[in-house]
Parts: sequence; structure tokens; C-alpha cells
Amino acid sequence: MSLFTAEGLVKRFGGLLATDHVDLAVDAGEIHALIGPNGAGKSTLVNLISGLLPADAGRIVLDGVDLTVLAPHARTRAGLARCFQITSVFRNDSVRDNLLLAVQAQAGSSFRCLSRRDAEHALQERAEALAQRAGLAEVLERNAGTLPHGLQKRLDLALALAARPKLLLLDEPMAGMGPEDSQQMVGLIRSLRRETAILLIEHDMDAVFQLADRISVLVYGKVLTSGDAAHVKGHAEVQAVYLGTEVAT
Amino acid sequence: MLEPTSQGASSAPCAAAAVTHARFPGLARRLPWLVLALLAAFPLLAPAFGLEYYVGFVRRVLIVAIAATSLNFILGYGGMAALGHAGFIGVGAYTVVALVEAGFSSAWLAWGSAALVAGLAAAAIGAVSLRTRGVYFIMITLAFAQMLYYLAVSLRTWGGDDGYGLYTPLELGAWLDGAHAQVFYWVVLAIAAAVFALFSRVAHSRYGHALRGIRDNEMRMVALGYPVYGLKLAGFVAAGAVAGLAGGLLASHNAFVSPSIMHWTQSALLLVMVMLGGAGRRWGAPLGVALWLTLEEVLKLYTDYWHWPLGLLLLLVVFHAPQGVAALLERRGGREGAR
Repeated sequence: MSLFTAEGLVKRFGGLLATDHVDLAVDAGEIHALIGPNGAGKSTLVNLISGLLPADAGRIVLDGVDLTVLAPHARTRAGLARCFQITSVFRNDSVRDNLLLAVQAQAGSSFRCLSRRDAEHALQERAEALAQRAGLAEVLERNAGTLPHGLQKRLDLALALAARPKLLLLDEPMAGMGPEDSQQMVGLIRSLRRETAILLIEHDMDAVFQLADRISVLVYGKVLTSGDAAHVKGHAEVQAVYLGTEVAT
Repeated sequence: MLEPTSQGASSAPCAAAAVTHARFPGLARRLPWLVLALLAAFPLLAPAFGLEYYVGFVRRVLIVAIAATSLNFILGYGGMAALGHAGFIGVGAYTVVALVEAGFSSAWLAWGSAALVAGLAAAAIGAVSLRTRGVYFIMITLAFAQMLYYLAVSLRTWGGDDGYGLYTPLELGAWLDGAHAQVFYWVVLAIAAAVFALFSRVAHSRYGHALRGIRDNEMRMVALGYPVYGLKLAGFVAAGAVAGLAGGLLASHNAFVSPSIMHWTQSALLLVMVMLGGAGRRWGAPLGVALWLTLEEVLKLYTDYWHWPLGLLLLLVVFHAPQGVAALLERRGGREGAR
């Protein structure tokens, strides 16, 4: 029994079938990578799962809860958190304020309007713990927008982690990173394995092969094949449409 | 909303509040209280300087500042550019008219009802409008306010186009009536101070932080698990209710209500005043209102073409202080924005 299943997901943009009856399953503690050439519909799929785009058909279940009918924010509350391909943080706020805002969403009502939030010790402690976890403790008071790209990506990840997700959707967490940042991110993601299952969308094949327990290949909105690294590397069609000569050598 | 009178005492102290922050931190903390004390003493001091005429003007500035503070809350903190705020002022004012017409005379009942009814109107209008974003939100709030405007024009019982005169002042009750000629001024001042303090406090609460988060990055807030729509609607309703309260007070202040109180140009003017003062700044709304209305009164003394210099001032602000005068003063004071 999988922790997360998506069944028969369909999304049309006019005449274009961006997501073509996609089935996907992620087990508890698993890192499941989703790869595919540009335009394969990876980001669309992430948006369907997180609810930012409404699906035309299909069903999404996380830990026995049907998410299909839930609004995006309710899906997060049900345990499904996500990161963004284009880093999405609060650029004009300090890292601390970013984390506080993320932590606050999960700790009681945000309609509280008379007591000072920054005086809540429980929130501050959780924010600091998150910063520690994501390697941001040294830049807590810096403005998020002034951080180097790699740190912003980590902040983006830390914001998602605040939700204590059961399933974490990572949309290209290594995008635009140099090898060093990339390797740190791999380490961070690997360390999350015990806390949450992960659906990882990534172009960096080295990272994917290092991290993934299972890899699904998406082509033209369809899952071409699914399996471990060896299976995918050896799959003739995958080589043809995606990996090409890189694996052949 | 606008009626003739002149030069107020309220703008200068507010402006100084921000400036002195850096150099005299102790004074900075006390300055809001100093401003409040000055405003409270104004009706008593005014006769000595021959300024009785301006007590009414300051009272109007305070009432408009209440409405502007509520608009600043949803515009500056919530990122909702509502172009129909005067609609709620109008709903508040006409609620007072309706109660007076029905024979009620208690000021507290009338103003409380004004806030309540405007809050309900804001809930209905917000529930629909907040499903849209950006320009569409601006247009739909404008459309709703104009519907209210034309509704008021068509309501014969409440004066229609000609307006409705409130010939006997509302009763404050207890010892307040007749205690002093200017007792209404102090009531307005107390309400304005309370509203300002309340919104300042909310800005630093969980709710205030969440609202700013929505303004800065709505999609991320959704992904973080925030019920964005509900949070925005709550702010919209609170702002509408406070604007309604201001409308109720304005009805008493003018002793007259006409549909023009909620014409869309009034909504636009309110937006302009908030932007001038500094949207999303604590002192933005009162500063903008005091500055604009004071300049308007002063310029009217010299020329019939007072729109010209005000327009030029607006251009200046747009180019040199796009964050508003409050931001400019904070920067001059060498201090980070007090948000």
C-alpha cells in the first residue's frame, strides 16, 4: 500500500493534452524521481498534485485521504508540501521572518490578531530549528532576497518542511546551482528521507541517480516507464527520447 | 467627504514623529502620545490663537484618517487595491440616516450600526470581489461602490440626489451632551486614536504577518497552507466596518448626507491620500490625509485652481517618494521602515 497515489490524472490546455492519464505512486520513506525532457509536463503534474491547477480527471490520495477535492492550502494541511522551480520566498523579509511565517501556518490559528507574533517563543524556536536543519542558521537575520541562489533554494525547501509534510514535492531543487551547492542540496534531501517521502523533479541526472529509489520517466504527458536507476538507464526508449548518448557512452 | 475649512494642526506633529525616531529614540516613543495630547488640547487652545474655525477642520481630518487607516490596512498590508472604499463610508452614513429617519437618536447606536451594516456589506462585496485579482479587483470593487451610489441616488425617502439633512445632533448620552461645545471633537479623536492603535497592533500579530505574506507572495502562502481567501476576506470586512464607522461619524460631522459621499472619485481620493502618505506604513494614512486636506485648504485660500498644485505634488511624490511621505521621513530619519 503506497503512501501516495495519483490515478488517471488528466490535464488539457485547449487541444494540448499536458497530462495524459498519469498514474504515480510514492511509498513511505521513498524518494521517487520524476524525469523527462523539457515540455514533458513535469511542472504541470506538480501543479496538479499540489492543487494550484485543477485536474480535468483523476484522483489523488495521500495516506488514505482523498486530496482531489481539497483546495491547495488544505492539501498542505493534509501533509503535502511543495517547493517551487522558480524560488518562491518572501524576498523583502529576513530569513527568520520567512521561517516564522511558514511555522505559523502550522501552529494554531493565523486569525489571531491582538498578540505580538514575534513574542511567541514556540514559533521562534521552531523557526530556529528549521534554520539549523536547512543550514541557514548563520543567515537568519539577512534579507531573503539578498541571499545567494543556493541559500534561497534551501530556504524554499525549509519553508516547505515547516508543514511537517508526509509527502514533499520538490520541483527542480537544484535548478541553476553550481556543483558545490548541488552536492549540499543532495545531502540535505537525503537527510530528509526519514521524515518524509519525496517526489523529486530534477534535470540533474547525477543528483537523481544518487537520490532516487525509483524513477519515473515522463514523456509527452505520459509515464513512459517506472523503475530503479538500472532499469531506467537500460530502457531503450528512455535512452532514445531522453538520456540519449549520455548513458550510451 | 470634503467640505470647506482650513489649515490643520495635525500634519506637522505626525511628520515629526518619523523624523525624530533616529536621533531621539526616547522622544520617538513618546511622540505619538505628544501628538495625541496636542490634538486633545487643540479645542481648548484654539480660541486663544483665533483658530476656533479650524477645530471642525481637524475633526474632519481625523474622520477621514479613520477611513484611510482602514484602507491602508487592506491596501498597504493586504495588497488589495480596493477602489470602492467610499462605498462603505456611504453605507455607514446612510445607516445613520436610516436610524434617524426611523426615530432613533443615540449616537452610539447609530455609529455602531454604521460599522455593523458596512461590515456586512463588505462581507457580501468582498466574498465576490476577492475571487478576482489585480485590475479586475479594482474594477469590481469600483462597480459595487457605484451600484451603492446609484442606489442612494434613487432612494427618495432618504433624500435621493438632494441628500438628507440631520438637523438635530445625535445624543451621546450620560453627561457627555452639553458638557462642552466640542465634545464631539474629543469623541472623534478618541475613536481615531483607538482605531489607529488597533490596526498598529494587528499589524504585528499573526494575522498581520499573514496578511503581508499574502501581499508579497500569495502563491507561496497557499503552498504554506494558509486559507488565503478567508484571511483576505476577514481583513476586507474589518476595513469595511471601520470605513462605515467613519461614514457614520462623517454624517454627524456634516449634519448632512448625500450620495456624493460615496462617488467613486471619493474612493480614488482616499487611495491617493493613502499612497501619498505611504501605503503599508504605520503613519501613512494619517500623514497622507492631513497633508492632502491641509494643502487643499491652504491652496483654496489663494486660488480657485487648487487642483493644479496638488496634482504637481502628487507627481513629485510618485517620482521622488514612490513609497509615500512616511517612507521618505523614515529614510531621512535613518531608520528602517516601521511596518
